[in-house]
Amino acid sequence: MNVVLDIVTAALVLAGASLALVAAIGLHRLGDTRSRMHAATKPATLGVLLCAVGAALQFDSVSVVTKLFVAVALQLITAPVGAHMLARSITRRGAPPPPATP
Amino acid sequence: MNVTAWIAMVMLFGATVLTVWRTVRPGSGLGDRAVAFDMIVALIQCGLFIGAVLMGDGIMVDVALVLGLLGFLSAVTVARFVERTGA
Repeated sequence: MNVVLDIVTAALVLAGASLALVAAIGLHRLGDTRSRMHAATKPATLGVLLCAVGAALQFDSVSVVTKLFVAVALQLITAPVGAHMLARSITRRGAPPPPATP
Repeated sequence: MNVTAWIAMVMLFGATVLTVWRTVRPGSGLGDRAVAFDMIVALIQCGLFIGAVLMGDGIMVDVALVLGLLGFLSAVTVARFVERTGA
């Protein structure tokens, strides 16, 4: 049981960390602010979610798991709102509209 | 488990270095810096969760909770500033 939990935690934590690394690479490779935002907002929700679920499997105290749940719920609510506000302000000020895609 | 957590920490460190470079490098605008800063907060949160596993202590989760709130507030503040002044 413990070994299974360890393996699942390792897989989740590694998935979250590799998602963060890929997003950091995308932050350099993409050429536009909103394209970079597309890469940067993935670890803000999914990476944090994966790491928190992996950490929650290692704790058997109810208070820690509850705090992890609250942290993830708050992040899932606030990260899209913050990204939307940033994208809106960037679009209204300065950045030209993106070219039409076929 | 421990080894895997440390490997994930190293990967997060590399991602943080890349993101910090995007923040401080010349030529990136205020929007770029705000996006990169928002991502740095998320990376530190991931690191705090993994650190909680490594330490076996739940106190790191409180830090991550407060850090998430601060990151959201700073992102909203910078967004409103950019929208108002056009920097």
